[in-house]
Amino acid sequence: MAGKAKAAFVQLSSCWGCHQSLLDLHEKLLDVIPLLDIKYWVAAVDFKVDDLKKLPNGGLDAGFVEGLCRTEEDVHLLKLTREKARALIAFGSCSSFGGVPSIANLFLKNELLERKYLKAETVVDKNTVPSENLPQITNFVPRNDQMVKVDVYLLGCPPTSQEIANAVLALFSGKPIEHSIKTICDECERKKEEKNVKEFRRDFEGKPDPEKCLINQGYLCMGAGTRAGCGAQCPNANHPCKGCSGPPEGVADQAAKLIGTFGGIADMEPKKLLEVFRDPAGQLYSFTYASSPLSKLRSANKDEK
Amino acid sequence: MKSRTSTIKGGKESADAKKETEIKIEPITRLEGHGEIRIKLNKGKISDVQFNVTSARFFEKFLEGRLAEDARIITPRICGICPEPHHLASVKAVEDAWVVNPPLAARKLRELLLLGKQISSHALHLYVLAAPDFLLGPFAPPEARNIVTIVNKIPDAAKKAIELMKHGQELCATVGGKAIHPVTAIPGGMTKPLKEEQRDEWLKRMDRAMELTEFTYQLLLKIMQDYWDVITKVGVIETYYTGLTNNGEHNFYDGSIRVMSPSGRIEAEVPAQRYTEVVAEKVVPHCYATHIFYRKAGYPDGIWRGGPLARINVVEKMVTPRANEALKEFRAKVGRPCHATFAYHWARSIELLDAVGKAKKLLEDPDIVSQDYKLEKVEPREGCGVGVVEAPRGLLVHNYWTDKVGIITKANLIVATNHNIGAIEKSLNIIARQVIEDKIHEKLKLPKPMISA
Repeated sequence: MAGKAKAAFVQLSSCWGCHQSLLDLHEKLLDVIPLLDIKYWVAAVDFKVDDLKKLPNGGLDAGFVEGLCRTEEDVHLLKLTREKARALIAFGSCSSFGGVPSIANLFLKNELLERKYLKAETVVDKNTVPSENLPQITNFVPRNDQMVKVDVYLLGCPPTSQEIANAVLALFSGKPIEHSIKTICDECERKKEEKNVKEFRRDFEGKPDPEKCLINQGYLCMGAGTRAGCGAQCPNANHPCKGCSGPPEGVADQAAKLIGTFGGIADMEPKKLLEVFRDPAGQLYSFTYASSPLSKLRSANKDEK
Repeated sequence: MKSRTSTIKGGKESADAKKETEIKIEPITRLEGHGEIRIKLNKGKISDVQFNVTSARFFEKFLEGRLAEDARIITPRICGICPEPHHLASVKAVEDAWVVNPPLAARKLRELLLLGKQISSHALHLYVLAAPDFLLGPFAPPEARNIVTIVNKIPDAAKKAIELMKHGQELCATVGGKAIHPVTAIPGGMTKPLKEEQRDEWLKRMDRAMELTEFTYQLLLKIMQDYWDVITKVGVIETYYTGLTNNGEHNFYDGSIRVMSPSGRIEAEVPAQRYTEVVAEKVVPHCYATHIFYRKAGYPDGIWRGGPLARINVVEKMVTPRANEALKEFRAKVGRPCHATFAYHWARSIELLDAVGKAKKLLEDPDIVSQDYKLEKVEPREGCGVGVVEAPRGLLVHNYWTDKVGIITKANLIVATNHNIGAIEKSLNIIARQVIEDKIHEKLKLPKPMISA
């Protein structure tokens, strides 16, 4: 690529964590920033939406999009970025799979609004749902790639600083961004045994041995159903992997894959196994619920009524 | 979040009618979150100012049905700048509901984790979000007012800023497993201890962090001095203040909720579990974030503020001698309470001194490397629990109800920035009048910018 890469960093409804991860390149930021001609970056630069609108279509080399479509404005901004960017990069798990906030798809929009504005213990008056000069809340959270074409997925909640730097460097050199085809288990250095589990434990039970495989100890570690790339950060912190990078290459449904994994090693009565999954959606789809075929069920039923 | 007048140039003016015009700033930049500002003018006079927070994700609802121990993984995703406070308030709420007392070492490790976050967030707020306005001056072109310009023009200061943020974030990663969305605090303690060699390394790094913090504090003092006219005249609003204190002493990790009136009287001080006695939320039609206020004073009279200035106002003293000295210097100059919105940055730099000093003190404590970091036995039960901590931008409250197997049946969250939404709108109202009607920016005494764009 000749000269600097023209880039926009866009935030739909999100937490800023992917941008914090970019900043967490620390001194390496001084190498990455000069490669970019930043045209839009709400988190750190004062360009406005109008500045983004004024760019010619295809005028950006890359549009990094953090977050999910929780409002109509998010949908608009996603489509706008798609128009402007030759490469659209889904920046993080919300942008790639819906992320944690897509668990909200378990509920109807009215239920969400009611709890926050009409029922919360600390809310006074309980008679107003905000709507003036505000974009509408979407009925459910879709995957961003159901709305527009996504060229590159930067996975993880958040993607590691190194993965972000690699993506920027690849963008700059015109090379494709490659994802690991391995799983977290392949990256994890804990000692693993081929054995069945007689009893599963919840994350707070006992004190896990820091050397042994967490699944072998009965913890619901999701490493086997999760794409590698982070270096097994959570297992290294003596904590089960929660699956934040989404399913490995070639797997569409992370939860289905994990149910297979856990079911295959569970040496117990089916009733006991069910007790382990008291909240299957939250436990197995915590970062990918918008990707689940179940995700649209409730809002679809509502539409029929 | 912070209020600024300097982005107005980037706003869009649309003439609805000849007499009525609207200035729309879309979006507000250099913050975590999603907001817009609308200023309505009638014949050149301000008729209305709205601060619109344009998104909500409804964590309080979709926590229902989740395993309570997963809330400390879910809720950090509310904020990527401040995931540690959510992680910790969450685990404290669950432990309160289940009547679990984690070992002392776990409590100290959690406090260290929170301090790491205060260090990185405060440094980020000062250097990346706020400093460009002061170092380049309010009339610099919008496209130049950012950290990239600071990196290009004064690389020495930029390197120090980056190094300080790095110390904070990496301390979080060491203790929390990950800096962004940590995982180690768990009902019953922590998932891992701090190793002795890690402790030794961090003791050294904290000395360096203190040098960088002193540099930052001196830079802030200079900025405050240079912009004295702005600080004392622009956007000054009288509000209530709230923050945690431990017998009057500043405390990020625990304590009772103190409320101070605009005149400086301590109006209330309640334990965290009784937060609903003082905390109330007003839903305003033009904002997805609620306006939090002091319940007993009503709305809008009871609009209060949280975060650095509020905490500095409500406390009697800081923890470390260095920060205490800075607090005295602050009070001698601006009094108590200080209502100057721009003094938030000064207060933030005082808290930074305290956070680094306190982190060092914790690292010197032999308990910090104790192997007694997690209870073996933790049992869920039906209950209601409250967890509070101070997030960088204000008091954070998580309140969960759990059933007998430990599933969340209901949740209420009081999120840090929301303490300030009502006050931000109030100060924007004042600033819009000051700038648009009175042209105060033409009369203020301003320094020659440290960086010319």
